[in-house]
This record gives sequence, structure tokens and C-alpha cells, in this order.
Amino acid sequence: MNAASFIPALTRGAVALVGTLIVGLIAVLAAGLDPVTTLQAIIDGAVGTPYAIRQSLTEAVPVTLTALGVAVAFRAGLFNLGGEGQIYIGALGAVGTALLFPELPSVLLIPFALAVGTFGGLVWGAIAGVLRAKLRLSEIITTIMLNFIAFWIVSYLVHGPLKDPGGSGYPLTREITTSAQLPVFGDLVPSGAVLMLVAAFCVWLLLERTSTGIRIKGSGSSASASRFAGVSMSRVTILVMAVAGALAGLGGAVSLQGDQHQLGDFFSPGWGFDAVAVALIGRGTATGTFITGVAVGALRSGIQSAQGTAEVPSSIAQILLAAAVLFVIVGNAEGAGQMVRRSWSRTRGLASD
Amino acid sequence: MTDIFDIVTSATLYAAAIRLALPIFLAALGETFAERSGLVNVGLEGMMLMGAFGAVLGSDVTGSALAGVAIGLLFALLVAAVQGFVAINLGGDQIVCGIALNIGALGVTAFLVRAIWEGGNAPQVPGFSAFHFPILADAPFLGVAIFQQSIFVYVAFLLALISWWALMKTGWGLRMRGCGEDPLACESLGIPVKRLRWQAMLICGGCAGLGGVFLALGELLTFSDGMSGGRGFIALAVVIIARWSPMLAIPSALLFGAVEAFALRVQSSDLNVPPELMLALPYVATIVVYAIVVGRSNPPAALGRTYVRQ
Repeated sequence: MNAASFIPALTRGAVALVGTLIVGLIAVLAAGLDPVTTLQAIIDGAVGTPYAIRQSLTEAVPVTLTALGVAVAFRAGLFNLGGEGQIYIGALGAVGTALLFPELPSVLLIPFALAVGTFGGLVWGAIAGVLRAKLRLSEIITTIMLNFIAFWIVSYLVHGPLKDPGGSGYPLTREITTSAQLPVFGDLVPSGAVLMLVAAFCVWLLLERTSTGIRIKGSGSSASASRFAGVSMSRVTILVMAVAGALAGLGGAVSLQGDQHQLGDFFSPGWGFDAVAVALIGRGTATGTFITGVAVGALRSGIQSAQGTAEVPSSIAQILLAAAVLFVIVGNAEGAGQMVRRSWSRTRGLASD
Repeated sequence: MTDIFDIVTSATLYAAAIRLALPIFLAALGETFAERSGLVNVGLEGMMLMGAFGAVLGSDVTGSALAGVAIGLLFALLVAAVQGFVAINLGGDQIVCGIALNIGALGVTAFLVRAIWEGGNAPQVPGFSAFHFPILADAPFLGVAIFQQSIFVYVAFLLALISWWALMKTGWGLRMRGCGEDPLACESLGIPVKRLRWQAMLICGGCAGLGGVFLALGELLTFSDGMSGGRGFIALAVVIIARWSPMLAIPSALLFGAVEAFALRVQSSDLNVPPELMLALPYVATIVVYAIVVGRSNPPAALGRTYVRQ
């Protein structure tokens, strides 16, 4: 049954947006803030100056890259909740490479470190894929466990073997050399943002223009039909989880080489979970996920800079994301459609079906 | 000089194992009801977190740990109500809803902690101390291991017995399990699928919430962001490992409690093991045990499928 036909898509989107804004308004009022100045501060902080735009893009990159991976998995009917761990492993690969080969020229070192980070994420994602395909372990559980395992491995390394001996005592690695750092174009566009755009295009190509994309979407919408058509489900499962992990790993590597330059315990502020919400709000499409991801990056960055002026708690972003996802599910739900139809026919004086 | 042998033979290790297994067990017990009725509830983590937060808030405001329990349960039931409404009444995607609620609970609790308490940190609050069984508490080994636990431990054990009886030995339990196997057939027999699933979801919220309450009032006596630490997800694995049985959930949860207790003991001993790697152990154990057991599991047939009466 096509649940989407119950309520027109545009109406659903509008209702979800208005609902989310109302939740945000409640949160802002509950925090004792003035809604108008808060919104103004967030918008200023997100896009008010060239620097703000650059910060927003920087913040959007890891979330969007990870979300694109979540979207690919989602289209295959899989939930990649492991973005957080894949980001950490990706950043670990990048920082390790950059610290091992500091004397390499930039043209080699930058892509090399990015590639190692991406590969690390790929492996971390593929583990969950293999466990699902070969042993039928739910990826919902294994990806969460792999998050914690990745986090504690990184934590061990930055407290111990990789800790900067000349540092201030904080559990952080040494900073990578400038030869490994991603450039910023014209002081405005971080190169990570370009990578993010390219990745979104590649995901769009994969899903919409390749036979692999058809297999991915087919296995998500009807597993039995796909199997009947000769699609190897386990191959699709491992592939999409590896792709998801690779994109998140790239996100971690880009944030490391383009922004933070060193790895520590608190490298990711929860991008992996933001990414899940972003992909779900974007309905698993490349375009929807890309737009939502950039918007969430701007929101996060806006809130961050507004924290200085209006004390806006960063947890508001999480609340907004959760609310938006809930509104999207409700909009797509079969039962919700029935309810709307019933009340429609009632108001028109017709018998309900 | 401590060595592994000393650690695994000490009564305090087993006491810690039971204590650490408790929140996982309670959440798994609740999830067993939900899944037996056909609902997948990935929002366990969020329910535990809200339970823990509500417990600390209630205990701080009223100064009574018992009121903390009530408020904690209320907060967790709130999450269960949203999950129930979306999953049962609207027929929305159960897994996505659970994921959203987990993210939402993380955000809401972090938000409220900063909004309510000065300095943005939850205070130390009155909690529950250990309950010493007369005579039995002084027994060698078992006294320390079992009979000096928090009152929650004994309550949880009773809950397990009651749940087993209710789910497996009563008509109500049979009907509830029927909803998880074939809701349409149940409906045609006049069994109120919606109502039974709502009961299961609220029981689930209550149990998971109680797990969170214990984490807060029996263990830490305060709230910290994300303090449920993935236990809601370990509980999801425990349900499968226990093959959807309330009684088997006890040894399954204990296994994880034991791993965590062992990891903590090794960490605080003079064995030269990096503490961070020990902290990863419960999560590794979850995957390993899950992988060993899952091949023989047989979930309820209608688990997680949307069912809306036409």
C-alpha cells in the first residue's frame, strides 16, 4: 500500500516544518530566551558573515557525508547507527597517516590520509554488514556496539601511545603538519565542502543511475522480490554498509584534516546520530539528505556562535532533529493517513469508510 | 598483588555483576513484552535515560528517593506513550520512531539539566542504599554477593517471576503473544490487539524506566548526559539471546553484568591493562555472544510489522 498517497507530500513537508518550528519555539521559551533575538542570533551566527558561512560549511561536512552513507543504507532497508564510530576510525586513519608521513608533499599526503581514513570507516561499516549478511545479526545493535568499541580504542590511543608528549596534558594527538591540512578556497569555501558536494553527486549517481542502485533500492522495498530476481542480498548488505562506513570515515578524515587537525576523546559532538536524523528527514534521497545536512550544519554552527551572545543550549539542535523525524514518520504513517481521511469525510458530512 | 584468579573468586565481583546486570535486565524484560506483542522498541535507551533523569529530578525536588522513582517512571512512560501512539495507533515506522526518541531523549535531558540546575550539572540526590537480609547477609561469600544488594535487585527478581507467569501461564499472556505472531487472526477472534499492544508498550516503558531509575538512584546518585551508555541496545541483544523469555533474560543479562564487573575490577587492580580497552569489553562481548546465539533464535512472526486495522 502506498501510504504516501494519503496526504499530499507538500502538505506533509509543511506540517513537519511548522511542527518542528513550534517545538523549537517551546524549547527557546523554556530556556527563558527571547525567540526573536535568539533566532536573529542563530541566523547571524550561521550565515551573517563570510566567516560564519565558512564555519557553517565546515560543520555541515562531516554530518552530511555521514548522512549520505546512512541514506544509502536506509534505501537498502538497513539502519547505520554506527556513523559515530566510523567517524572516529576515519579520523584515526587520517591522523595516523598524517603523523607517519609528514615529509610527503601535500599533493600526495592530503589524498593519502583522506583515503586511509575513508578505508578505516569502510572496514568499520563492513564489519556490521558482514555480521548482518553472514550471521543475521541486527545492524541496529552491532553498529551501536561498534561505536563504543571505536570510541574506546581511540580514547586508549589518545591517552596513551598517540598522546602528544609536548602537549598541555590533554588527551590529544599531535597536530598534523600543514602539508596534510585541507585548503580553504578564497577564505570562504573549505575544500571539504567541495568533497561533500562531489560525494552527494556520486551517491545520487549510485542510487538513481546505476544497476547497483536498483538492486539497493529493490532489496530495501521488497527483499523477497529482489531475491527472486537473483539479487544477492548478502552482497548488497555488505556493500551498502561498507559505503556507509566509507562516507562517514571520509567525514571524520575531512574534519580532522580540514578543521580540528588533531584527534581527541571529544572529536565528534554526535555527528553520527545527527546524520541518522538528517538521512531520515531527507527521506534517504541524495538531494534531500544533502540539503538537510547543510541546513543542520548551519543550525549547529549558528547555535554555537549564538551561545556566546544569547546562551542558546546546543541540545536544542538534537531536540529539533528528533521532532522533525517524528513529524516525518507520522506524515508517512498509514494510520495517520487514515485518520486524516476519516476526519475529512466527517467534516464533509460523508460516512467514513 | 592482585591477579585474575583473585578477581574472579572475590564475592564483590559477583555482587557487582548483579548490580551492573540489573538495568540491562529490566530494560530487556520490558522489551520482551513489547516484542512478544509484535512491537519492536528501539527506544529503550531513550526510556532509560528519561527514567534516570526523572528520578534525579524527582529526588532532588522532593528530597525523597521514592518520589524520584515515581517521577522517573512517569518520564519513561511518556516516551513509551509517544512510541506507542506512533507504532500502534498511527502505524508509523517503529524502528525510525525509536531512533528519533533516542536522539530526542538525549537532547531533552541535556537541555533540561542545563535549564534546571545551576552550573548545568545535576546535583547529588538522595538514593537507595543496600538492603541487608537478616542472617543471610552474613553468610560467607553469598552474603556479599547476593544478600546485600539494592532493594531494586529483589524487586527485579520478583518482576521476572511475575512476568514469566503472566506471559507464559495466563490467557492474557497467550493473547499478547498471539498479537506478536498473527495480529490479524487475533483481531478476527475478537482479541483487542491495540489494547494489548498498548499494555505491552507501557510495561516496556515502565521496566526500562525502572532500569534508568536504578542507574540514577541506586548507582550514581546523580545524572550525567548519556549515562545509559548503550545499555538499552545491549538489552535489545539480551532479549534475542534469551529467546524472548523473561526468565532466560536473567542469566543473559548477568553475563553482561559479569563482563562489565570484571572489566571494572581489572581496571582498578594493579594489572597493567589500559582502562579504556577494558571499558570496550562489554560491547565486544555483546557482539560475540549475540553472534554465537542468534542462529538458533526464533522471533515472533509479526515482530516490527506495521499493523493498522483496516
